[in-house]
Amino acid sequence: MKSFSTSFPVPKAERRRFLYASAGLGLLALAPILRAQGRGMTSLPAPMPAPALRLLDSDGKPVDLAGYRGKVVLVNFWATWCPPCRKEFPSLARLRKRFKSAEFEVLAVNVGEDPDMVFSFTGITEFPVLFDRDSKAMATWPVKGLPTTFVVDRQGRLALKAVGGREFDDPEIVAIIKQLLNS
Amino acid sequence: MNIRLLIVCALLGSASLFVRAEDETTWTHRAAQSAVMLTANPLGSVSRTAFYGARGFPEATIRPYAQACGFSFGMHNGSADKLTTRLADWQAISADGKRVALRLPEAWDVEWAKSGVSEAARIAFRWAQFQSEITFEPGDWIMGMATLEVPLSGTFRLVARYRDDKGNHEIVLDKLSCAKG
Repeated sequence: MKSFSTSFPVPKAERRRFLYASAGLGLLALAPILRAQGRGMTSLPAPMPAPALRLLDSDGKPVDLAGYRGKVVLVNFWATWCPPCRKEFPSLARLRKRFKSAEFEVLAVNVGEDPDMVFSFTGITEFPVLFDRDSKAMATWPVKGLPTTFVVDRQGRLALKAVGGREFDDPEIVAIIKQLLNS
Repeated sequence: MNIRLLIVCALLGSASLFVRAEDETTWTHRAAQSAVMLTANPLGSVSRTAFYGARGFPEATIRPYAQACGFSFGMHNGSADKLTTRLADWQAISADGKRVALRLPEAWDVEWAKSGVSEAARIAFRWAQFQSEITFEPGDWIMGMATLEVPLSGTFRLVARYRDDKGNHEIVLDKLSCAKG
């Protein structure tokens, strides 16, 4: 993934757009973050093949989930206006760092927003951020709300699912991903 | 409405997010049934207008939604069982017994389609709502907005129904009221 320039300041128009975007968060924030983040992830009893996921990354380069076959991949559907998505986002980077890139990857799939707005929130990331501008890709996944996260096993099957925010470097989640890597 | 006022209100709201995310302030209303928790906060029209305006909704288009009696809900399944809830099974009940259903997000989306709201704005709207049917695995939680079909005056209770392997259950949030302004 190409690194974005870190030479701030961000252009005025972009800053204004980000202010508008993040401003909206206040609405959901009026309902404060739930005290209890969810815990763990649910093992799917009969792992089925992960739906296709072919999207552009921040640099406009195509990324295909199928290209990660052989690795365990965490796929996180999110948006910047979604408070629990924002809260859990840093933990994705921490989780990513726990494993070697040869065996584990994180794909953060942003839903319905443009790369400039998203970059204003994410900055440079340790993992690819993909853009599902019209949510058509997400519609083929069993998603019922944001954030929703899946872990795809080495065989390309949906193995784990979590609905709602998580701290992904929680020992329980790290352990279950280690299990998948060793299985 | 003055756009500057909207922005100021929305920014204040954003600031509130970060403060609350730090100190994890509690919700204004909460109730639990076994280990399943439902929380709610009333939402005013200014904040909703700002939120959806920032996502591409013209002010006049979002007005009916922003002025509807609305809440942000959070639901957390702390039990060991999978559960399913349908917004169509939830009801607000006033002190004098008047029952009002919640308006499903799909009903609002029909309005947005008629009004020619952009696809990106409709996506943001769709995913910001409490979904009309959700299955929660143990540990899952979801938050989202929802509105009553018609406003209720005074305080009322909200009966949220869900089912799991053991049967049907209710969570009752008491003393709710529509936000003013």
